[in-house]
Amino acid sequence: MRTIKAIFIKQACDTLKNWMVLIQFILFPIMALIMTVLIAKPADDIPNSMFVTMFAAMYAGMTPLVTVASVIAEDKEHKSLRFLVIAGVKPQEYLLGISGFVLTVGLIVAVLFGLIGGFGGVEFVKFVLVLTLGSVASAILGATIGVISKNQQVATATVTPVFMILAFSPMFAEFNETISKMTSFLYTRQVSMLVNDFDMSLTEPVLIVLANIAVVFVLFVVAYRKKGLRI
Amino acid sequence: MIKMTNIVKRFGAQTVLSEVSFETKYKEIFGLLGPSGAGKTTIINILTNQLSQDSGTHAIGVTPFETGLMLDEDGLYPRLSCIENLNVFADIYGMPHKKSLEVLKSVGLEDAVKKAVNTLSRGMRQRLALARAILHEPKLLFLDEPTSGLDPGTARGIHRLILSLRDKGATIFLTTHNMDEAVKLCDRVALLHKGKIVEHGGPADICMRHNAMKTVPDLEAVFINMTGTALQ
Ligand SMILES: Nc1ncnc2c1ncn2[C@@H]1O[C@H](COP(=O)(O)OP(=O)(O)OP(=O)(O)O)[C@@H](O)[C@H]1O
Ligand SMILES: [Mg+2]
Repeated sequence: MRTIKAIFIKQACDTLKNWMVLIQFILFPIMALIMTVLIAKPADDIPNSMFVTMFAAMYAGMTPLVTVASVIAEDKEHKSLRFLVIAGVKPQEYLLGISGFVLTVGLIVAVLFGLIGGFGGVEFVKFVLVLTLGSVASAILGATIGVISKNQQVATATVTPVFMILAFSPMFAEFNETISKMTSFLYTRQVSMLVNDFDMSLTEPVLIVLANIAVVFVLFVVAYRKKGLRI
Repeated sequence: MIKMTNIVKRFGAQTVLSEVSFETKYKEIFGLLGPSGAGKTTIINILTNQLSQDSGTHAIGVTPFETGLMLDEDGLYPRLSCIENLNVFADIYGMPHKKSLEVLKSVGLEDAVKKAVNTLSRGMRQRLALARAILHEPKLLFLDEPTSGLDPGTARGIHRLILSLRDKGATIFLTTHNMDEAVKLCDRVALLHKGKIVEHGGPADICMRHNAMKTVPDLEAVFINMTGTALQ
């Protein structure tokens, strides 16, 4: 626990000084806020929460993925990870520290989204829960990419197409039946559907997201065993 | 403290270490000398379990927690300040943050406590890396070329620090291609050439054996004599 906390604090200090990572967290809620205030609120035929749900779903699919992948890849590239390993930090402690921080910030941002969207009561709780669940899947997938990447450049190159598919396919699915079917097993699609319709049952989508988490976790363990966190 | 027996290490077709064996004693400064590419860093990487050997065995007499390490790549967090870098490890080891400050002073970085690592000079980074290595008062310290690229004044400061650590009971394993450093600091040395240890013992003894005593022990002459190549 001590070690996880140490990594958590390291990541907090580092992220606050790293504009490139920070912006990933701030960008989507700001966009949502601007679009809501400028477009959704004045227009009668657009629901006030439309942009919030759209950007929130994109955010959950992308931000934890990109940030965790780039943080781990940078620690590998700068060799700081080696010193943690030598100091006896276990890989799961390191990952919990890093993704714990990213998910904490993620939770704050999810709440922020909820406030901008003006959700109340049960809707608000559902909304935050779904976003958090999606963020967990996203963070573990990011960790997997971070571990297999040699450096930040490789991580970015790998992450880009992955997040493009994950973050944008739910949008295309709205317009195309085939894409809709093909992407229904992706956690981003389920998150997007859930935040758009609070009346739908949580059971099936949550199970699908949990299945996603299980799959990426297995992927992570395999990647870790193969690549390790060492040299 | 350290025992290495018949270690062989290959990278692809290149045999970097061929049957390297040596032993270090407790509470001594042991110097591994050799020119660039001799395999010094590879030996440290194997001893600290960052690399696995192809054959042979090695053992150290302390737990991984009781070892400290300074490598040629410092692995510092560039955006964090000196003190924040050390505090990450103080937290991991469960030590109070005032220990970080103490150690920063001992390497002469008391004026740079809050400076971000990416604004430090090379010598300052190196001293910070040393500070991180000694933070938890390890019983065994690995130092990979601790003074390379430093000005003579800073290097002397680091020499004093290394000697005082030894006097407090630490065992130090260092690599260098600087002869004077080896003669001044090391209780015993091993000369590494093309992945083989060609000579080992106390610096003065080695020089006596090879009639290279002149006015001061001249390890450089011994090395050239034995291998036909210079150390630097
Ligand atoms: N990961 C690696 N993959 C392939 N070859 C390697 C690797 N690490 C080291 N080598 C090779 O092993 C040899 C010894 O390298 P090593 O870094 O141990 O030398 P060194 O004595 O520390 O040199 P220097 O004084 O320059 O630091 C070199 O020829 C180097 O190219
Ligand atoms: Mg080296």
